[in-house]
Amino acid sequence: MSLPNSDNRLAALLRSTSLWRASEHHLAAPQQANSHYPGAPTGFAALDASLPWRGWPANALTEIITPLWGAGELQLVLPLLRDISTQGRSALWVSPPCIPYAPALASAGVDIARMIIVTPQSHEVLWGIEKALQNNACAVVLAWPGTLSGKHIRRLQLACVTGQTLGFVFHHRYIRHSNAVLRLRAEADDNALSLSILKARGSHRHDRVRLPRETL
Amino acid sequence: MNSRFSQASFALHGLHTAPISKKLINHDTPPRQRSKQEPLWYAVYFPQFASANSQSAIHLKRQQQIAQALSALSATVTIASVDSFSFEVASSLNYFGGIDSIRKRLSDSLTALLEAWQLPTQVQHAVSPTPAASLLMAKAGCNLLVYRKNNLRAALGRIPLQALPLPKKKKRQFHNSGLNILRDIWRLPSHQLGQRFGRDFLKQLDQCLGHVANPVPTYNSPEQFSSELEWDFSIENKQLLLPGIEELLERLCAFLQTRELAANRLVLRFLHEHHAPTLLHLDLRQASRQHAHLMLLLETRLHAISLHAGCIGMRLEVTHFQTVSLNSATLKGIDAASETGTHADILPLLEELQARLGNAAVRRIYLRDEHCPEFASQDIAFGEVGNTHAVSTDKSSPRPFWLLPQPVHLKKSAGRLFYHSSLHLLSGPERIETHWWNKQEVKRDYYIASNRQGMRLWIFHERMLADIDTEQAWYLHGIFA
Repeated sequence: MSLPNSDNRLAALLRSTSLWRASEHHLAAPQQANSHYPGAPTGFAALDASLPWRGWPANALTEIITPLWGAGELQLVLPLLRDISTQGRSALWVSPPCIPYAPALASAGVDIARMIIVTPQSHEVLWGIEKALQNNACAVVLAWPGTLSGKHIRRLQLACVTGQTLGFVFHHRYIRHSNAVLRLRAEADDNALSLSILKARGSHRHDRVRLPRETL
Repeated sequence: MNSRFSQASFALHGLHTAPISKKLINHDTPPRQRSKQEPLWYAVYFPQFASANSQSAIHLKRQQQIAQALSALSATVTIASVDSFSFEVASSLNYFGGIDSIRKRLSDSLTALLEAWQLPTQVQHAVSPTPAASLLMAKAGCNLLVYRKNNLRAALGRIPLQALPLPKKKKRQFHNSGLNILRDIWRLPSHQLGQRFGRDFLKQLDQCLGHVANPVPTYNSPEQFSSELEWDFSIENKQLLLPGIEELLERLCAFLQTRELAANRLVLRFLHEHHAPTLLHLDLRQASRQHAHLMLLLETRLHAISLHAGCIGMRLEVTHFQTVSLNSATLKGIDAASETGTHADILPLLEELQARLGNAAVRRIYLRDEHCPEFASQDIAFGEVGNTHAVSTDKSSPRPFWLLPQPVHLKKSAGRLFYHSSLHLLSGPERIETHWWNKQEVKRDYYIASNRQGMRLWIFHERMLADIDTEQAWYLHGIFA
């Protein structure tokens, strides 16, 4: 940074650690998730660096908005599923668009015995998601609720806190008022999956992260 | 003497006070040495039932309920007659801490039952080493506690002969001979007794005194549990049915507790006035006898069903049981391989989900050793056993995360394959030819394609059709997501 030599005081101020810059994460965890900012590594260094929790926010709801199914949204949670299933914890898939294909998950290193698929009728989907999120025993809930409103998201977010569960909802539509702790828009092109962080509680940065196909 | 006892028993009839308010009167003391301890039979006589019809359905049901309540106190319960019961207590004396605490427990459970039936709560009781003597004393309203067989003769001395279960003719014979109480009999030369009053009478006396064996039929609680609640009005609000369900479950849990069982399959019937009952089935993955757990499941289930009409009663039936091993919790590791073991932590959640959404709505996926893509994955309801063989996964050929249940035919537009936008092939072909031995023969070339939305698609070219069609025979089979 080039500053006029006369203004040493400003330079000293800028170097000081007590100064908070708007470009930095507000209240972020310094290097990795800690007890104040509990998180679970996403498995993608670039994404971890852009998130205040250095990973997925724990006990919170993450919203992943994609224009279509198949934009690479499952790739995003795959490292997490691998981690929790090898630790012997379970993940619930509530109302996925298709039944996940066992050989693909198994070859990605996920213990498929830990994956439970719940396929409720459409009017019971939200009930099922909430019950799963409220349960302590279930580590991760992946949910495809279909239509959602801000009110539903608030309820699901509260359920995540109650059950200390990592919740993910996948949907297509941008909801104006969402209580989710982290909101991502995922879009794919030929070479990469690009993520825009629409909201991350505790940060004013709205980073865009590009995850090249090869790293997925 | 005679008149005093009969008066006493009449006076008890119809009084609304706690049953067995009279304490047992100790006739002797228990033997010091345990080895010398004789059996002790506790007899209970219900004057309320003296005139009950022994074949009526209501009475039989009540009898069963009383016997069930008694089996909480003893392993050997006998329904002696239409109005009296006896049960062996010597073996459970130490467990309950003496005859007095057994009497209190008995009093509590009988009061509850009799009050529910709106009957007078007075009953008569007695304890002695033989069932016959206990019953005789209880019927005569002589609330004695006799520990030793040797003292029975003296204890029975004051019992009126009219209290003995004898034909009227014989009773008149005693009366005419001036014999009123048993002590009068004891005074007679014993070798004359058989001649004067018949062998049957002699046998009765011997059974009372324990000189001859008196085998009694023991009551066995039924293998199946069935309990009913009825009321005289109709309930439509499901919320109002919950207390009733709770009551039924309480009975079930008491039943399971005494039989060392856990329930596997429950059926709850809601009875309607003009309709067939609404059924609610509950299959448990892991047998349970916890009131709270069962209640939660039934409540969840109840919200999911609709009642045909107003409900005038409920019946809870349990037909499948499992014996409880009390240390199963500590041996969890042993059945870790089984499904319930692996998922022990989330099992309550999965059961709750299954209770509301149906068993088939909670599923697991399994690998199968199959070359054909649609058969390589198996998804079945949680709780059913899937493929457990180890399957090697081939990491070289990529597979999509979503496999469509049915391949979707891909249209061509301007000579190019089209899905949301035109596709271009990224890699392939991977040829899969299998199942030539049956009608499901598969001959496909798989490619990975992408479209302008950045989707990675798993598509195949069908090679089974006639040549004219081959250009059209492109299908989408999976999405890499």
